[in-house]
Amino acid sequence: MTVANPNFVEEVKKSNEFNASACMNCGVCSAVCPMGIELLPRKLFRYVLLGFKDKVLENKETIYSCLLCRMCEANCPAKVHIAENVRLLRYYLNKNVFRV
Amino acid sequence: MSDRRIGVYICHCGGNISDYVNVDKVKEAVQDEPGVVVAKTSMFTCSDAGQQDIIRDIKEQNLDGLVVASCSPKLHLHTFRDVAKRAGLNPYQYTQVNIREQCSWTHTDDHEGATEKAIRLVRAGINRTNLTEPLHSIKINTVPKVLIIGAGIAGLRAAIGLNDIGIAVYLAEKEQEPGGWVAGFGKMYPHGRNGKEIINQLVNEVKKRDSITLFTQAEVIDKTGSVGDFRVKIRVRDQEEIALHVGAIITATGFNAYKPHEDEYGYGMDGVVTLAEFKKLLDKSEGKIIRQGKEIKNVVYVYCVGSRQGDEAEDGNRYCSRYCCNAAVHSSIQALEKNPQVHQYHLFRDMRTYGKFELLLNDALKRGSIFLKFDENEPPQITKGANGTLNVTVKDLLTFGEEVEIEADLVVLATGMVPKENQKLVDILKLPVGRDRFFNEIHPKLRPVETVVDGVYICGTCQGPKNSAESVASALAAVSQSAAILKKGYVELEPLIAMVNREACTWCGECETACPYTAISKEQVQGKEVAKIHEALCKGCGGCIPICPNHALDLKGYTDGQMKAMIDGLLKEKF
Repeated sequence: MTVANPNFVEEVKKSNEFNASACMNCGVCSAVCPMGIELLPRKLFRYVLLGFKDKVLENKETIYSCLLCRMCEANCPAKVHIAENVRLLRYYLNKNVFRV
Repeated sequence: MSDRRIGVYICHCGGNISDYVNVDKVKEAVQDEPGVVVAKTSMFTCSDAGQQDIIRDIKEQNLDGLVVASCSPKLHLHTFRDVAKRAGLNPYQYTQVNIREQCSWTHTDDHEGATEKAIRLVRAGINRTNLTEPLHSIKINTVPKVLIIGAGIAGLRAAIGLNDIGIAVYLAEKEQEPGGWVAGFGKMYPHGRNGKEIINQLVNEVKKRDSITLFTQAEVIDKTGSVGDFRVKIRVRDQEEIALHVGAIITATGFNAYKPHEDEYGYGMDGVVTLAEFKKLLDKSEGKIIRQGKEIKNVVYVYCVGSRQGDEAEDGNRYCSRYCCNAAVHSSIQALEKNPQVHQYHLFRDMRTYGKFELLLNDALKRGSIFLKFDENEPPQITKGANGTLNVTVKDLLTFGEEVEIEADLVVLATGMVPKENQKLVDILKLPVGRDRFFNEIHPKLRPVETVVDGVYICGTCQGPKNSAESVASALAAVSQSAAILKKGYVELEPLIAMVNREACTWCGECETACPYTAISKEQVQGKEVAKIHEALCKGCGGCIPICPNHALDLKGYTDGQMKAMIDGLLKEKF
């Protein structure tokens, strides 16, 4: 059981515009990912939207293993800015977790 | 032997029939049947040339009966009745024999058997035609007035629509004020106009017009007569009874909101409300949404409450209520407009923001509403939380079954539509009620506002869940359908109805009880009580005929004599 936290997404958003609302859970992003990243972008973004901060922090490694190649973004039918969202999450982690 | 002059036409249907049925053999087998003077085969009987050939034969050979063995009467009964009419032959002297759908198409593997069956069927048709008599459609003059029951958005709009075409309207509303549900609505999608404003506009228009009479606190207590010529009694304010004479009746009695039962998604707990209750709260909120002195910051919506219920719910509502997804999403946008800080979680089974309402959903998503999908077998649980909040737990399928706990100030149940309890009206108007307990149309696509009771129409949500725009569209459909019969000035009904042999009838009343259309009553003829068939009410269903202990009833066009003759025709050859 994870508690929804409406403030987390606001925290992430503060850095810039995080937007994954348009995601319809189709899975194209995962299918085209050259890294075969285990944590699917759609799942990661749901964690952010629902405010599962702990789950996001647990997946730091994955967030940094993304190549930012934008293969997913180019193929996303809902035009979610996936790579941009990942970049924003890194920015959040850099600032709030690694304090750099 | 027969003194009839019957023409028989056996159709190839371009091979649809003749590929499997030997049509020449059929012709040979029936051409010497009693009464037959012409027997032919034809490549396409329904073609212009085919029709002309029949017309020529009827005129030149002086035919007084016609049999076409071709497709289903559903397709071409009226085509060939019309052929008969154009040739000067009474259209009810025509019999259509179906040797396509019920013979060639079903017996493609047995040509001989199909041919033999076709012969039997055609012979039966000839035997029936030997006993036909000229019949004439029943003509009823219509009264150019309509009674509309229910003055919600559908009833009001229908009243104005009918009046625009010059038809007088009586509008009967059960409540104290006209307007129905929409009168209680705030901003509506997509124009943002207030429901109350829209209703006021309609009511003002209705009041302006001399030939629309609005009765409030009115109920229908009696109806007699038939299409084009109804006598209706209404009771107003529990006292005055008013007799109305109208040509058609439109039922626009609307719906009830589904009321969750105790404990359904925590209903009954403080902070769990229905969508209608939430909309009221929103409408009176300025800026922050305050309920009982407390600011509402986190809202959880639960969708499909009272709709799409599974088999486990006895008498459950299996249908989708159609309006609730749109209404709940719309409300969430309204809430954000009042207070952009409010957090909203939508727990849905499937989102059905069909058509242009998709834009609403996109808008809600963009503004940060979060949508969580739950499985119907694992519905969200709602319990009391700390500090007067509510704890909502749900397994979110969109996060791969993750269990989510949400702390909510308010839980909004998106409740569906249920049919109104209207048993009295159903009994009086004989309205057809479906398994879902809404009123039923004759044909969902082609005759969507007509009922099996001629001259009685349905529109709006009494027929099933609709939004207000759809209700108005169906109201205007009812306007055009009722006006079509009333503006013509008369209606013509099929003469294939029951008839009474007064000598044989001893009036026992059995037929009156058996008749589902109240078309049979008692009358005195030369001092004798006999059954009387009300021509305009009888549908020719035949339900009364086998009931009669004295065999005093018969069905025109399908008499016992004709039926026996057909059976004899079918069984002429041994098996």
